[in-house]
Amino acid sequence: MINELLLQFAQWLEAQSYSQMLLAGYYSYNWVETTHVLTLMLSIGSLFIIDFRMLGLILPNVPASTIANRLHKPMIIGFAIMFITGFLLVYAKPVETVQSLWFRIKMILLVCAFINAWIFNARLKAAAGSWDMDPVAPKNLRTGAIISLVLWCGVVTMGRYIPYDWVDCVNVENPTILWATGCVEQLQAL
Amino acid sequence: MFSLLLNQYRRTLILFLVLALIIILEMVQFRAAIYPGLLPIFEWVKYSSWIGILGTTYGSIYATVEAGHLLSMATIGGVVLATDLRLLGIVFRDVPSETLTRGTHKVFKLALVVAILTGIFCAAGVADKVYYMQVFWFKMLVLAAGSGFVFFIKQPLLNSMPHAQINPWVLRLLAITSILIWFTVAATGRWIGFS
Repeated sequence: MINELLLQFAQWLEAQSYSQMLLAGYYSYNWVETTHVLTLMLSIGSLFIIDFRMLGLILPNVPASTIANRLHKPMIIGFAIMFITGFLLVYAKPVETVQSLWFRIKMILLVCAFINAWIFNARLKAAAGSWDMDPVAPKNLRTGAIISLVLWCGVVTMGRYIPYDWVDCVNVENPTILWATGCVEQLQAL
Repeated sequence: MFSLLLNQYRRTLILFLVLALIIILEMVQFRAAIYPGLLPIFEWVKYSSWIGILGTTYGSIYATVEAGHLLSMATIGGVVLATDLRLLGIVFRDVPSETLTRGTHKVFKLALVVAILTGIFCAAGVADKVYYMQVFWFKMLVLAAGSGFVFFIKQPLLNSMPHAQINPWVLRLLAITSILIWFTVAATGRWIGFS
């Protein structure tokens, strides 16, 4: 049911002229993709510095809250640009993207990363002042930092897998993988 | 006097000598002379070396290493932006720039090593293609210039004295040059992907 709805929505997006224009314009798509990838340096680069500080791997003599607060704005700007460009990339190839297993895993990892970030921030505020000058953060924050690093590495890796066609609707026969990939027509043909 | 100058600016002088050597070699058309001879090496790397075979045979390994390359570049970008924007007085104004530049340099070095190793693997998988790309050679040149700039000019200068004693315009120039160099390295990498 969810696969059918997603596919219909993607087909509706793909029928729109702006979607076709974005894909047809060789440089427009490339510029959006380039911006999406280069903004990694701002968003994930800042995030990694915060996580490394929590783990005591970097700048142990600078208060952790200072690192987190000062890098918060550049990181948010980076993520905002990544989401806008990411949406445009999906908008240019909606059907292909919705029927990509890697894109689906990426979205799940993204949701997990944001839940983790929300919990991490709440814990950071709750523990404010008690450990700020310690070279290593308390255990619950260290765990949050490790989960954050793993999830974002996963997000980037899944993003890199999307252009590859190892698990495409046309070359997969396993029903479970077909369902997970959202290959509605191939599932009906089985 | 001469030996004092030599000791104080040893790394900078070495870098200038290397740059002068590159210019001289370019003038005598050394690069153009050796360029055809490099093709068999690039072909060997792709078709006969284990990294080339691994990269061309297993697409999943190649893509995973590509992701590692992107992550290491993201880490380099994060460190470069944090330290250089501090030198420009935009972020971390309440943290001494000496603390920030020294405290992040180890991560920068590690990320650069990972980026180079994963980059070699990625290039090996498409060695016969990148050989003909001008942008690939441009990226190698910028990468070499960037590494030379960091290890022979920027870090020695920033570590040599308190930053308050360095002319603020020199600090700004260092920061802007560094951001431009590493942005170019990353952007040319994307360009290779499109070519």
